[in-house]
Amino acid sequence: MLRPVFDWLDSRTGFRAGLSHLLDEPLPAGVGWWFVTGSILLFLLGVQLLTGVILTMFYVPAPDHAHASVVYIMDTLPFGRILRGLHFFGASFIVVAAIIHMLRVVAFGSYKKPREVTWLTGVVLLLVIMAFALSGYLLPWDQKAYWATTVTINVARSGPFGEFVAGLMRGGDSLGALTLLRWYSAHVFLLPACLIVFAVSHVYLMRRHGISGPVEPQDGPSLPFHPYQSARDTLAMALVFAALVGAAAMFPAPLDPVADPADASYVPRPEWYFLSLFQLLKYFPGPFEPVATVGVPGLVVGWLLALPFIDRTPGRRLRDRPMVAVVFAVLGIGVATLTSLGLRDSPSHSRPAWTPLARAGSVFVNDARCAGCHRDGGAGGPISELRSTHDPEWVRAHVRDPEILVPGSRKPPAGAMTAAQGYAVLSYMRRVWAKTGPMPQVSAGEQAAAVVLGRHCATCHMVDGEGASSAPDLSTVGRTRDAMWLKEWITDPSAVDPIASMPAFGEVLTDAEMDDVVAHLAGRR
Amino acid sequence: MGGTLGVVLGGAVLSPGAARRAERWLSAGKVSDLMPDTPTAVMLRVARQDGYAQVVERRTVFLVRTGDSAVTAIDSTCTHLGCRVSWNADAKELKCPCHGGRYDSSGAVKGGPPPAPLATFDTKISDGDVLVRM
Repeated sequence: MLRPVFDWLDSRTGFRAGLSHLLDEPLPAGVGWWFVTGSILLFLLGVQLLTGVILTMFYVPAPDHAHASVVYIMDTLPFGRILRGLHFFGASFIVVAAIIHMLRVVAFGSYKKPREVTWLTGVVLLLVIMAFALSGYLLPWDQKAYWATTVTINVARSGPFGEFVAGLMRGGDSLGALTLLRWYSAHVFLLPACLIVFAVSHVYLMRRHGISGPVEPQDGPSLPFHPYQSARDTLAMALVFAALVGAAAMFPAPLDPVADPADASYVPRPEWYFLSLFQLLKYFPGPFEPVATVGVPGLVVGWLLALPFIDRTPGRRLRDRPMVAVVFAVLGIGVATLTSLGLRDSPSHSRPAWTPLARAGSVFVNDARCAGCHRDGGAGGPISELRSTHDPEWVRAHVRDPEILVPGSRKPPAGAMTAAQGYAVLSYMRRVWAKTGPMPQVSAGEQAAAVVLGRHCATCHMVDGEGASSAPDLSTVGRTRDAMWLKEWITDPSAVDPIASMPAFGEVLTDAEMDDVVAHLAGRR
Repeated sequence: MGGTLGVVLGGAVLSPGAARRAERWLSAGKVSDLMPDTPTAVMLRVARQDGYAQVVERRTVFLVRTGDSAVTAIDSTCTHLGCRVSWNADAKELKCPCHGGRYDSSGAVKGGPPPAPLATFDTKISDGDVLVRM
């Protein structure tokens, strides 16, 4: 029934001839499984394109909303977790597939005359893929995104025209909304356009010169691409796709807490495929840094681009090209060693654990002052459903003075929560946003000590990385102070040291509270 | 491969449009403040998830006392094309400003283009408070 329609379409477009040109490509005898690598790469790029387009329907490229929109994709959107998983793990699959494809081309000598330009477009595609990966992981605007991008931009500063390039990457005078929009624009418009242009050129050149085929030409008839090679391609794609779906279904794509420029405790680490470069930086400190940031990567890219012009011998067997084999072996061992060293140094990123300060915050948010608005039908939504759309300073100011518009614009009203309580509630909210899970039970004494820390101590002291930093960090205070000293000091610091600036808490805390907080602090080792 | 991608991508694109919000009982005021057969407009705040964002939506409903312990909650959305109706005390009718739809105090159509009476919400009375489910 559709035949007349297709006949008409063919008479106007000639699509049948085009299709048979694509499918009936004659392949040299002996083309086998090694020649599926390019098709796998093309297929994975297609999956990335499709999942990327769908992700843009739910993602918001703005610092205030990016992280919340990714949390929504992961936790609420049906199929969202697997959708982001396909895109996230797809990036790693592509890097692996691209490297395998490149090594296959090197091993088979397929870059040689007349395929030099095909090779060059391939090298550009590899760089485009790396640029995709680099621009992609700023987008979730989590801690990893923020800090890895900070490092990337600072790396760019050490190169030629460093400040100019860094400014171009930042978009503004600091990492922020303009940076995110710029990288988003590159990731979804600029780089896909480059990718399509170079991928089409690459495939066109591949067809123009034909597949290079086995290293030693084999006797036998030439076979069409379809169905002989297309069957191998399809089977290989199906296997790779099954592995990708398996990874996306089994492991949630990681997402750190929302980016916090004030958090000095975060240890940034890039994705595994940039880890070797990151590790290399450690061996070239100070004035030698450009060696690692520009020198070594520049040499590697230069070598790849020059390869077909350096190695001009006609033989395609690898044993006839010892220099090429040695250089790629050294490169491979170098990258593998640096990556494994980098992995060993990487801290594991887990959800933030329940600390005493967060525990205290959970007590304070149940205060009538919060619940008055944060309830069903109230002016704000229920606390457990809030998303992190404000910066930490705003959250702390809001806790103390809910009607304030601009943090610091007025003093909190009488009876407001203390500055310490602001830190404690922020700490609690960070666990809510990160979905840390249920809070484990602790003894009544530990709970009372947590409330004292969260009501008073955190106003000046830092505890477990949270709180103010105008007085000594209490995280491991038990190592240097015993319970007796702590009790005397907290009761009346000026009795211990006449010039102490800390206020006395002997009259503020009950005897039980004093004993609980002293026992807790003395136990911090 | 196409099927798997179709389910994941299609599911993500289509399912948010089919989502239904969870209903909650919201306090709408004291039953003693309401007059018989006279709609009183109250504004309810409904917290809801709007994609990734959490928004507090303001909805106007008309509460009408229909007995000692019975209250009807009428939606203010005209059933013609969705404009907001308001109570005209002189004409004793709910009137739509867009195309002149008219409803009586129970939400039944009196005239104009509306094809159906105004929607109502479930209500209950607890300790003298009117609760509306929406």
